[in-house]
Amino acid sequence: MSIVTVQLGQCGNQIGFEVFDTLFSDSHSSQGLCSKKENEAYQASCKERFFREEENGVPIARAVLVDMEPKVINQTLSKAARSGQWKYGEHACFCQKQGSGNNWAYGYSVHGPRNEESIMNLIQKEVEKCDSLSGFFIIMSIAGGTGSGLGAFITQNLQDQYSNSLRMNQIIWPYGTGEVIVQNYNSILTLSHLYRSSDALLVHENDAVHKICAKLMNIKQISFSDINQVLAHQLGSVFQPTYSEEGSFHYRRNPLGDLMENLVPHPEFKMLGIRNIPQMSENSLAYSTFTWAGLLKHLRQMLISNAKMEEGIDWQVRPPISGLPALGKMSLKKELRFNTSIANLVILRGKEVQSADLEGFKDPALYTSWLEPDTAFNVWKTQRAFNRYEKSAALVSNSQFLIRPLDMIVGKAWNMFASKAYIHQYTKFGIEEEDFLDSFTLLEQVVSSYSNI
Amino acid sequence: MGRRRRRVDSEAGAGAWTLPEVIAALSRSLPAGPSPEIFRRAKFDRPEAAPALWRLLFQVLAPLPAYGPSTLPAPAADPAHTVALTPPTFVRLRPRGSGHVLLQGPACRGSGTAHPGRHWPCSTLRLHPWRLHPLPPHRSPGSEAQARLVKAVLRSQGYPRPVLAQLPEDGSQGSRELLLALSWLLAREPLIERLLVQARVQLGDQVPEFKGAEWTRGCPLLPLQGEALASCGPPTSHMGAQVPTDLRYVQWLMGKLWFRWRHLISSQQEQCALLGKIHLYTRGCHSDQDLGHLSVTETEMLRDPEGGQQLLRALGWENARLKAALEWRRWELVFWRWMDTVPGICPPDGPAAASQPPVLPRIPEPGLGELERVAQEMQALHEELQEATATRRVAWEAQVGGPGRGPQWSAVRRASQEAVEQELAALRRSWEQGRGPAPPQGHRLVRREGSSARAHGLRAAELTGPLREQEARLQAALRQLQGQCQQELARLAAALPGLICILPPGR
Repeated sequence: MSIVTVQLGQCGNQIGFEVFDTLFSDSHSSQGLCSKKENEAYQASCKERFFREEENGVPIARAVLVDMEPKVINQTLSKAARSGQWKYGEHACFCQKQGSGNNWAYGYSVHGPRNEESIMNLIQKEVEKCDSLSGFFIIMSIAGGTGSGLGAFITQNLQDQYSNSLRMNQIIWPYGTGEVIVQNYNSILTLSHLYRSSDALLVHENDAVHKICAKLMNIKQISFSDINQVLAHQLGSVFQPTYSEEGSFHYRRNPLGDLMENLVPHPEFKMLGIRNIPQMSENSLAYSTFTWAGLLKHLRQMLISNAKMEEGIDWQVRPPISGLPALGKMSLKKELRFNTSIANLVILRGKEVQSADLEGFKDPALYTSWLEPDTAFNVWKTQRAFNRYEKSAALVSNSQFLIRPLDMIVGKAWNMFASKAYIHQYTKFGIEEEDFLDSFTLLEQVVSSYSNI
Repeated sequence: MGRRRRRVDSEAGAGAWTLPEVIAALSRSLPAGPSPEIFRRAKFDRPEAAPALWRLLFQVLAPLPAYGPSTLPAPAADPAHTVALTPPTFVRLRPRGSGHVLLQGPACRGSGTAHPGRHWPCSTLRLHPWRLHPLPPHRSPGSEAQARLVKAVLRSQGYPRPVLAQLPEDGSQGSRELLLALSWLLAREPLIERLLVQARVQLGDQVPEFKGAEWTRGCPLLPLQGEALASCGPPTSHMGAQVPTDLRYVQWLMGKLWFRWRHLISSQQEQCALLGKIHLYTRGCHSDQDLGHLSVTETEMLRDPEGGQQLLRALGWENARLKAALEWRRWELVFWRWMDTVPGICPPDGPAAASQPPVLPRIPEPGLGELERVAQEMQALHEELQEATATRRVAWEAQVGGPGRGPQWSAVRRASQEAVEQELAALRRSWEQGRGPAPPQGHRLVRREGSSARAHGLRAAELTGPLREQEARLQAALRQLQGQCQQELARLAAALPGLICILPPGR
């Protein structure tokens, strides 16, 4: 079953390109550490999901590119075409001549309705070329103008028009010290709207990825391209083909549906975080070996202590002893030490994957009281290695990862809102104070739900 | 226990079958039928005969879709996927990756629309409904669960003997009782014929069964699927202190159900699309001009000779069962005569057994209180009604002036009787209509071009029309129920002053 990706704004388009590039080059890599037949099945599965074929041509990504200015889209299109390996569809992009000046309301209330028909038509054409549609990826930032406002509008339209298809928004969480003064307003408006119309919000934090680039990949001058490649690697390790069940050797047909069913069936808990191990520069890769035991021990501690990467993990954090109240119920003012999970999905790829022992993740102390670890924890194991890593593990987690960042954004936005700063830019285009209040209410509720699990 | 009586066959003597032969025929016509020796042992209540009979009854009462076609619930009525009579749109078939196979069937007759060089999408592999897959071992329920199901179903169908309910569930005893139960089932209805119809091997693509009508007014007993049974834990015959379930867990489960439902819908849409493609591309390939194109089963047969062999085997087995059923019908009197001797050797029911009340399912404690309250309310209502009718009757009689006499009175009476009957008939008709059309059985799905009217067969539009009406009715009912829930929530929220209730973000 296929996934159609909608790339929105500068952020969405640049990341989208890296994602498709990583998916393609991994599926055609010769270092899969598996048989030729296995490799071909992997390739075919990846292709069905993300690419389509036209006669006598290179594979075409199942994507729609949307931006309000042409520059980034043209760059993206040409980069893809230059590779000679794959490309975007010729008529798969939509752009206008002017930007939206980081104004969420302009994106949502003006750009959206004005261009609704054209954009939805493009998406419809892409959907028609799928034999069967699993769902949509929508890649966007939440703090900018185009990506965020327009993205919220489009996700809502997708919900109305394709109500039976799944929608996962890949959202880019802004830097804490961002440059856009109204980024917090944009963020809370986007998040609250997406919470109502999306099925899952997979959050990528710029700060975290930046640190990974600096510390793990040893990149001195970190460009957006580096950040996006790390992001693409994380996404690829989740969404490349995986086996369906223990012992069966068919690739899963509906990974998006399976993932969502395992992680986000509850309507109040939709925020997902992603952790990946190991991550390193290509140069170091050749000289490193890993054991599953070591990798999984680190991954588990990353989960518990809410670490973003495998360096600098706080090993002091321990699961609460059963019988004592969970530490998560403390007020947010204190350091939220232990990260309680609602549900976790671990995806393992590589050599000797069957021997990996995941008992540590089935500890009931890691989870809430109302879900058994059997239900809350799932693992997908695949032999075929990913992106030249001999062994790699990804964790998609529905847990308290994002309470702090969310709370910070809501707090800052509230402070600004209390003094009515910059509100006129929004009310000018139809976003009233009521809408702000609704957003605050919804997000406070989300924070509260997550704090009290 | 009643049984059908037949005229004694006058030529019972000449060429008649012996009892073992007749029982063997019966066994052959049933799924998992045991040998005649088992039957003989069961008459004498031998324990070694019990497991085979438990298994047989289980297969008979809860037929698992292990062999034969699986039927899907009705797909969402979607105009893009009605098959009959829409002009076909040209669909480009792209060569697929590693899964395509050249069609090398017999030369396709017809108007030259055959395409010998077509490549088939490998996803057709997922469409064969008749593949013979016995359920994998971890999915068929254990013998205890089987025994429990057999007892439950027999009880709900009204099996009169209490001995059955008391048999141990480990399957070690009770072969005579099971034999009696089997013959009770055979006598009540044409059991074998019903099972054969359910297990038919289908060559064409079937119109899905529409279970809609039954779902709206509470399902009759549906055969439980193996998976549901396999997940039955140890029997909880009584509800102790109810452990309060966290609402969030219930919401979690609802969400999972919702995702699975959406997945089902997309799979069905995919199946429809592929079915359409196959029908389109095999135009002109079928030897029966009336049908015009191949079904999935027939296409699979051409693509995969090995699979064709399996189909042949399935047809062969079906034939054998049909033959056995015919033989059974011819000679079953022999069996019934023998069965007549079985109750005679049962130990007489002790006074304790006779006085035992029928086993009722135990009602959990809080439920009992509710039921009593409801019973009281009904009693009060009944008394009220009786009073009301009494007063009305008195008033009417006073009006009429006593029981009427004479031709004028009888004419009035006849008229009112007719009026009542008409109203009753009208009510019945509207109820029948509300049920929707009788589900079509055994129709084969065929794609037709143009608007050529055929004498026989059903048009898809005739089926989709009532389905849409039913959908609209169900939507209206859903909206009404949702409205009621909203009102209830609002009422609860208002009842607690000073409390602000924030509803979760709705879909």
